[in-house]
Amino acid sequence: MYDWLLFLHLLAAFMLAVTVVTYTAVALGAPAEGRAMFVADRCWDVGGLGTLVLGIWLALYLDEYGFFDGWILGAIGLWVIATGLGQTVQRRTAAGETAAVATMHWLRTLTVLGLLVLMIWKPGA
Amino acid sequence: MTLLAAIRPDDWNFPLFLHILGAMVLVGALVLVVTSIAADNLRLGFRTLLIAVIPSWIVMRVAAQWIADKEHVDDLDPVPAWVDIGYSTSEGSFLLLIAATVCAGIAARRARGGGLRTAVLVLVAISLVAYVVAIWAMSTKPS
Repeated sequence: MYDWLLFLHLLAAFMLAVTVVTYTAVALGAPAEGRAMFVADRCWDVGGLGTLVLGIWLALYLDEYGFFDGWILGAIGLWVIATGLGQTVQRRTAAGETAAVATMHWLRTLTVLGLLVLMIWKPGA
Repeated sequence: MTLLAAIRPDDWNFPLFLHILGAMVLVGALVLVVTSIAADNLRLGFRTLLIAVIPSWIVMRVAAQWIADKEHVDDLDPVPAWVDIGYSTSEGSFLLLIAATVCAGIAARRARGGGLRTAVLVLVAISLVAYVVAIWAMSTKPS
């Protein structure tokens, strides 16, 4: 059970990477083409929900961790920030304001990187 | 294995971080290659292969060897199946990615896709399937 939860949690995290890489290409000057942006946005939706739900499930499943551990609460906080930034980036990119979203995209990228750091180091666990 | 994952030594963390980061960028970049090549943006597909896919593969693979050395998994007899799956998918797919990069480069230079475009899509799709299997192997660790 744990193995499959971890596999699906990781798969969801990899979907977030699809979004980050695609929007990085756009931030660096690549055209925001419909099909690529659609795939990137759906990956963000599914990956975001998957990482949160499966991550909390994993935390509750393992005796070693508790829901109120600092690194888990920190991860949920970063997830909320990344989601807010992601929705804004999606909305503004769809409106054609690609130049205006670069800063928000880089902030989102840093937030996702922060989530990965928390998942690996698990400070306080 | 659950307990092992939960109490991993601290000095394994940085190579593991680089390994997963490299793998995430690799998979994300490969999906971007598929969507851009499918949309006939051969130039973006080629550049993504060259600038993102190949370097991230190197980061993923070097970090994998680093953490394998720390864990001494290569010294086990027999070597665990998940380690073998990781090595075979990563090394096998690298040849596919090199071939895909060459095909995408030629197609982008000619500014028309044709058979080369299809070849890139097939090579990248096979690599993506292999990486999903590798992610499964790394997380479930079948013995």
